[in-house]
Amino acid sequence: MHTTEQEDLQPIHPEPEGFWPKYVFSRDHKVIAKQFLWAGLIFLFVGGTLAMMIRWQWAFPGKPVPVIGPLFLSDQGGAIGPATYMTVFTMHGLIMIFFAITPILIGAFGNYCIPLMIGARDMAFPTLNMLSFWTFVVSLVLVICSFFGQLGAAGAGWTTYPPLSTNIGTPGSGQTFMVAAIFVTGVSTIMGGINYVTTVIRHRAPGMTYMRMPLTVWGLWLTAVLNVLFVPVLGSAALLLFLDRVFGTQFFIAGAAAVRGGGDPILFQHLFWIFGHPEVYILILPAWGIVSDILSFFSRKPANWYRGSVYAMCTVTVLSAVVYGHHMFMTGMNPLLGQGFMILTLIISVPAELLFLNWLRTLWQGSIRTNPPMLFALGMVFVFGMGGLTGLYLGATATDIYLHDTMFVVGHFHLTMAAASFMGSLAAIYYWFPKMFGRRMSERLGKVHFWWSAVFITLVFTGQLISGYAGQNRRLYNPYEYSFLKHLLPLNRWTSYSAFILMAGQLVFVWNFIHSLVAGARAEMNPWQVGTLEWTIASPPPHHNYDVIPTVLRGPHEFADPLVKAKLGRDWIGQAEPLLQELPGSSTPAAAAGRA
Amino acid sequence: MPPFHHLLAAPLEGSGWGMPHDASLDGWRIDDLINETSVFVILLFAIMVAWMLWACFFHGERHPARYDHGTSRRSIAVALGIAAAIFFVVDGHLFLNSVLVWKHVFGNFAWAETQKETVRIEINAHQWAWAARYAGPDGKFGTQDDIVTLNDITVPQGVPVIFQVASTDVLHSFNIPNMRVKMDAVPGMVNRVWFTAKETGQFDIGCAQHCGANHYKMRGVLTVLPLEEWKRWAEVASANSARAYDAEDKDAQWAWDWEKHARI
Repeated sequence: MHTTEQEDLQPIHPEPEGFWPKYVFSRDHKVIAKQFLWAGLIFLFVGGTLAMMIRWQWAFPGKPVPVIGPLFLSDQGGAIGPATYMTVFTMHGLIMIFFAITPILIGAFGNYCIPLMIGARDMAFPTLNMLSFWTFVVSLVLVICSFFGQLGAAGAGWTTYPPLSTNIGTPGSGQTFMVAAIFVTGVSTIMGGINYVTTVIRHRAPGMTYMRMPLTVWGLWLTAVLNVLFVPVLGSAALLLFLDRVFGTQFFIAGAAAVRGGGDPILFQHLFWIFGHPEVYILILPAWGIVSDILSFFSRKPANWYRGSVYAMCTVTVLSAVVYGHHMFMTGMNPLLGQGFMILTLIISVPAELLFLNWLRTLWQGSIRTNPPMLFALGMVFVFGMGGLTGLYLGATATDIYLHDTMFVVGHFHLTMAAASFMGSLAAIYYWFPKMFGRRMSERLGKVHFWWSAVFITLVFTGQLISGYAGQNRRLYNPYEYSFLKHLLPLNRWTSYSAFILMAGQLVFVWNFIHSLVAGARAEMNPWQVGTLEWTIASPPPHHNYDVIPTVLRGPHEFADPLVKAKLGRDWIGQAEPLLQELPGSSTPAAAAGRA
Repeated sequence: MPPFHHLLAAPLEGSGWGMPHDASLDGWRIDDLINETSVFVILLFAIMVAWMLWACFFHGERHPARYDHGTSRRSIAVALGIAAAIFFVVDGHLFLNSVLVWKHVFGNFAWAETQKETVRIEINAHQWAWAARYAGPDGKFGTQDDIVTLNDITVPQGVPVIFQVASTDVLHSFNIPNMRVKMDAVPGMVNRVWFTAKETGQFDIGCAQHCGANHYKMRGVLTVLPLEEWKRWAEVASANSARAYDAEDKDAQWAWDWEKHARI
């Protein structure tokens, strides 16, 4: 597609005037990104507070919870009871996954980065984008309703396995609200996904071939593809479960004596995990992409084997759809089927290893700058390394017998999904904050925040791995009811202390974020000296992003090129910046090749 | 008391963060596989961390960056070679051993079912207890001489014990960490699991699948007795259960015909 065609496709629209269309019902991807960011950060705090309650319970079972207890649990003497406890860990999981990580990494950075980094003026469907956010708000309202539901919030675990999640196990309206919230947030995610997929296909600037896209865009785009394909499966599972709960159908209810029904509880697990395993990649692919870029940007060196990283992420995306059975090894699955899922699961480690090797080799022989975004990117590689390696034990049918449903699983998926996406999100926030808000965050506080978070997040989830290896099952209100777990109280207590310190450390971030918003130093156009397109426009960018849609001439990671150094006297060059005979609009062979 | 006095409480003394004692004949197969994999995993992780630290310390801001896209044939071959080596050694080791362990032990019901002294137990899980049923002297489930217990399972040492596990309400998971076995109890299904106890003693039975508010209290006790002692126990237990048998109490008469060809 040529420059004129993209100009025709994306004419400049005047900026809307007035408070409501500009800041609330906005169709501007940059405003919607910030809306998702705020919503996500608020719910990250809610989810984090719930996590602290779980940690409190494991350190001091049945003792009154400080601060939170007098505020929210006064009817139980400030302590967490078993019925409340199950709503706490259920809401923690669901909120973190669907209402914190998803809006931050996908809603905020997907919205913000995709159009800017591919040189587009907005998403392909701006109105759909707005609808996606406001549908998300409806789901947030349902989550809040769940907390006030009769018999408490949802309590069947984030996996919401029936029959426990039907009226047999959780008859309260809190569970119904949450099932509805999952369905509605799924609708929002699908709308966003369709938008992202279309935008990347249709709105790339001239010369922005697939193999010149920043890896951030690749990660976000593959995530969007997975969302469009697999969130509908979650939607059907949630809808059928809703029917079981509200209209008395029996899709997921079966039983011999106490409960009679013609359905199948395992059917739900298939639907859930066909979505659920891609979901873990949905949550990590954006972070993989962001980290792949940041490691190159701050090593001042081209990303090692760019195409290899792209192929690896695509392979993971495809394979993520066929490994889900490893979540169900203990359901009575035929051992032969289990072996099939085991080999597929182990195969997915190969592209992940290639991605890791690319990260490590990008650092090698670099000129590493340890700014906060880079520190968080390195932290992400560290925690994801731990998380990925501990996954090996769980993907194999023999070792999984012992480790299945223990805290080892909890530690493993928190390292991959929680710690790694936390690190990835923060790398992204520190990195794009100057572009988003036009101001700089404090570097010093950013580094304090990094070391504080990195040390204690590692301690928390390592503590979980160790208690799981020692046999502690997950979701136990009081693990010390079991004689073989009594000796784990000190370990769990130390893990909890680490968690409390981790949570307290986030105050550094909150202060840095809010203070920099109001009083941070003004950010210049390109504070990190990076060549991707968003850094060629003002910080923050104008409503229509690009006055003239740029013509892209090269990949996103052109650092340390001796020719550039000789001609321009710097170690980087913009993706659309002409050098020597390359003039914008002139079709150099390289620019023409990818866009035939 | 000060408001934050719990925060001041020191961690209790404790020791032993390893796996719980293995009291089964075949648990070592899982333990060894976990520990062997840990050697690989720790080695790979150490290399990764050392590499990152080395790069950060010695290839810092003062170090000139090399203009290298890592796309040479040699560079790609090295990456693919390393990935393939890790896959075949680490993943391959896990895969082969898992297949063998399932074939010869955990999934080998054909062998367990045909041993002379094999003990068969039906487990009916419900919120929040494990109901157990032994066939009794007549070898048939659902008769008056069945041994019926709650949260209390007694098995002999040194002979295969096969459990068929079901649930009447929600999902549970029958879990005996000291025997390295675990199997979900699913309404509408009968799942199987078996082990051979190596040592006598008492061990915890736990629920590994969230099953409601009292999930954490779904604890049973497994008692392992020497074979002859167990036989005497079974005789007495059968007589006791027969005495307590109440034909009117339909709920207490759950049972199913032993499924020789269940899925697992």
